[in-house]
Amino acid sequence: MGVIRAQPARVTDWAAKSVGAAWRAFDLQLTTYAALLVAVGLVMAYTNSVEDGAIPLEAGTTFSRGLMWAAIAAVVFTLATAFDYRWLRTLAWPIYGVQLGLLVLTLLIGDGIGGSARWIEIGPLTFQFSEIAKVLMIIVLASYLASRRRLDSLASILGACLLVAPPLALVMLQPDLGTSLVFGAILAGMLWMSGASLRWLAVLAALVVAMVPIAWTYILRDYQKERLASFLDTNPDIQGAGFQLHQAQIAVGSGGPFGKGLTNGTQTQGGFLPVQTTDFVFATLAEELGFIGGLVLFLLFVLLLWRVLVAGWRSKDAFGTLFAAGVASMILFQLVVNVGMVLGVMPITGIPLPFVTHGGASLVSMAAGLGILQSINVRQTRAAW
Amino acid sequence: MTTYLDDRPRPIRQPSRFIAFAVVTLLAVGGLTTRLFYLQIVDGGRFATLSARNRTVLEAVPAPRGLIYDSAGRVLVTNVPTFAVKVRPADLPQAQRPEVVARLAALLDLDEAEINATIDSNPGSNFDLVRIAGDVDEQTALLISEAGFELPGVEIAVEARRQYTYGPLLSQVLGYTGPVSAEQLPGLRSLGYLPDDLLGKTGLESQYETELRGLYGSESVERDATGRKMQVLQTINEASPGNSLNLTIDAKEQIYAERALKWAMAEVGLKRGVVIVMNPQTDEVVALVSLPTYDNNLFARGISNTDYRALVEDPDKPLLNHATQAHYPPGSTYKLVAGTGGLADRKISARTELQTKSYLTLGSTKFYDWNRRGFGACNIYCGFAHSSDTFFFQVAGMLGIDRLGYWGKQYGFGSPTGIDLPGEVSGIVPTNQWKQDVLGAPIYPGETYQSGIGQGYDVVTPIQLINAYAALANGGTLLQPQVVHDIVGPEGQVVRPFEPKMLHEIDAPASVLKTMRNAARAVVEVRHTYNLVELPIKVAGKSGTAEFGNRDKEGRLPFHSWFVGFVPKDPENGSFDKPDSNLVVLAFAYDSRTKGNVATEIVKYYLQQHFAIEKDYRLPNLLERGNFYQSN
Repeated sequence: MGVIRAQPARVTDWAAKSVGAAWRAFDLQLTTYAALLVAVGLVMAYTNSVEDGAIPLEAGTTFSRGLMWAAIAAVVFTLATAFDYRWLRTLAWPIYGVQLGLLVLTLLIGDGIGGSARWIEIGPLTFQFSEIAKVLMIIVLASYLASRRRLDSLASILGACLLVAPPLALVMLQPDLGTSLVFGAILAGMLWMSGASLRWLAVLAALVVAMVPIAWTYILRDYQKERLASFLDTNPDIQGAGFQLHQAQIAVGSGGPFGKGLTNGTQTQGGFLPVQTTDFVFATLAEELGFIGGLVLFLLFVLLLWRVLVAGWRSKDAFGTLFAAGVASMILFQLVVNVGMVLGVMPITGIPLPFVTHGGASLVSMAAGLGILQSINVRQTRAAW
Repeated sequence: MTTYLDDRPRPIRQPSRFIAFAVVTLLAVGGLTTRLFYLQIVDGGRFATLSARNRTVLEAVPAPRGLIYDSAGRVLVTNVPTFAVKVRPADLPQAQRPEVVARLAALLDLDEAEINATIDSNPGSNFDLVRIAGDVDEQTALLISEAGFELPGVEIAVEARRQYTYGPLLSQVLGYTGPVSAEQLPGLRSLGYLPDDLLGKTGLESQYETELRGLYGSESVERDATGRKMQVLQTINEASPGNSLNLTIDAKEQIYAERALKWAMAEVGLKRGVVIVMNPQTDEVVALVSLPTYDNNLFARGISNTDYRALVEDPDKPLLNHATQAHYPPGSTYKLVAGTGGLADRKISARTELQTKSYLTLGSTKFYDWNRRGFGACNIYCGFAHSSDTFFFQVAGMLGIDRLGYWGKQYGFGSPTGIDLPGEVSGIVPTNQWKQDVLGAPIYPGETYQSGIGQGYDVVTPIQLINAYAALANGGTLLQPQVVHDIVGPEGQVVRPFEPKMLHEIDAPASVLKTMRNAARAVVEVRHTYNLVELPIKVAGKSGTAEFGNRDKEGRLPFHSWFVGFVPKDPENGSFDKPDSNLVVLAFAYDSRTKGNVATEIVKYYLQQHFAIEKDYRLPNLLERGNFYQSN
């Protein structure tokens, strides 16, 4: 089986393919859900700009910068869709090099925001390369695993782990616990979907659990431990480390079923929420749009994840499937950890909510990921005839 | 075994893994939804309350402080809006504090250590505002409020500052307001005082604090996380302004009195002095000057440590009201007590003549008259007019210390007059009991002599002395001096009308007091007070020279000068037979050592201004300095 589907597409095939066919294969739903999520993010940026007392459309506000990044994301998405994803496999090693280079660069010249070196300034913009590194990691891992003859071998698993280890270590050094966990989630999700042996996956999981005490002692910084401890503490100090969480929960809880209305969130507009444009944006959403707003957001995410998985299912090559698995794992993990943090069921780790969190790198990274998925979608069309 | 045409990876989709992934996704999102449902729907009410509590606070609304007017309706103090810089310590991160304090110090021209000390001595909690500086100019206030993010925890508040129209002229009377101290706060909290509040510290500002303060209102205010006021949600109680005071003091008379005192002080080089003017019929204080003084506006603006230290360390104690808060030996002015007592106790009559020799001998001690020649046979008019010491030694001896003390107390000495100014001291009226209690010995006869001429243990405050003469002038009613005439509410309604307050009737027949009034007139008529008699108005009074301190090389003591005089209702033609005077004036010159009595010159100059007498009767040649012992 699989012989015909394994035929490499020739340039002539690709050229012969009609634009119409490509359009039919283009997943409009996927794009729509993603666009709606971006729109939610912009609405949140708008309400947060009002909180700052600024006119939202003025240059420099969260909202106007959000609009700009949305435009850039759209361009990146389009370019990624147009680009033949199969070249990515050829370019996998250079891409890996670029990824490591970016992370090393971040460590060398990164400007500390919140006390860690995560941000790079490019002109007026600050950019978090570790966000881009996530997508590059997915490309590299998908290429590597797709090239393995026996995917379920221990060698493949170990190889994948070895590939992930250097960037993960570099991100840990920033220190950015959240992003390194995302790398781990991507690895786990892709190994799972690659069909890796359950036995070896179980061994791997056991190893990770065994690593926890070592990580706690030697790797985690004090503030990270404090946050984790505060999460585990059933009666946290609401003036100290638990303050952010406490205020976020008040915001969410006081939102009620229908919310206080856009720009009417007293927690948001009163500045009680910590980092409400980024990591705690969901608290603003829940306060101002209520349970209904939260449900709509979750629904959009579920639909989006569904379309991502569909793209992976449809892919006739392992790369496509694995890439979709990586993107889905990344989005799901970030959704659960970010929202879970705001709802008090996950520790505070500083992972952005995909599409919604205000932050250029995260959005561009997501756009690139979905763009590549669309590229995979539209390039499966020939076999469908 | 599958064969591959090339290394093109085969599809690897495994339905079970896809399904598992989808299930995990749904479970995870389902979990989040459940949690969201719990927080927002099940537990939503609790959080709504927390959210409301988070942002609404009850804030006090300061009431405008009452104003103070003089008897002619001149505004003596107003409230002017000013900017104050305040810090909420809870919002000032410890790490940023040195930087913020340094910036504030530079902007406000204050000492960093001073600011730190103010923040640390904050009487309230960390969430209460601490006043760093008041009366900040608009430019600086604007700079600070715009630098909000660089100066966390620093706020600009608009508050009312007291503006004292005449400054030093009335500082001793009006006093000033200042920040609540840490020791005061616990007691004041229940009365609605705030940690960054101001309250009257001395003078009328302190005496009438409860009237002036008004009732603070309260409103519930929505604030943001940094404590900034966003909007007023509801006014719970309107603030009601404080009551205003109409004083008995006339700023014009105060200026006259101060001018007279300042002139003499400059002429002689005096360090301290007091002038008081009263209406003896009502005991309204028309003028009350105590020099040296200070500018209470300095305090209203927030006095610097340096300025404050200078005032506190000044040996002449400008912060002290020498008219009420300090007592001095009364000297010959106290002969009023012995004279009244002698007559009322019938030890002497108005016609009794006593030999006034150059000295009296008591055991081996000689008690000299100030006039070594004596005055010959002298009745009360002669004795009082020439201020014969030996005359009053004898009268005091006849009375004995306890009767002398009784009559001293009848005139109000030995206990506070009750004037509505804070910190009044009581002075001393010596009696056997008193000496036994305080010094553990009975009074010796010589001490009774000394007491008779106001040079014993007796000390009086200027306000007591003028009040005693006011009682003489009004026919024997000892009244309580008052500085505040009436109290008026915010709408102009009189809250407390003026009413003379009687302490007691002096236990002496009207005839005795009439004799003493005429004796006081004789003081002027015999030219004991030089040309005072030439004034186109009639003055009666008594001068006094009171020795104090340590003898100089020639064995002479430094001395204070007193004069207290009164004028009949009809100043030109009136008679001292009638107790109708409505003007009594006292002057006190501390450590005067002048050839003539400087206090008399001060009173004379005051009267010249008060009655608009064109001709100048002052005798500056009497004000030559030197230790002339010339009693009076």
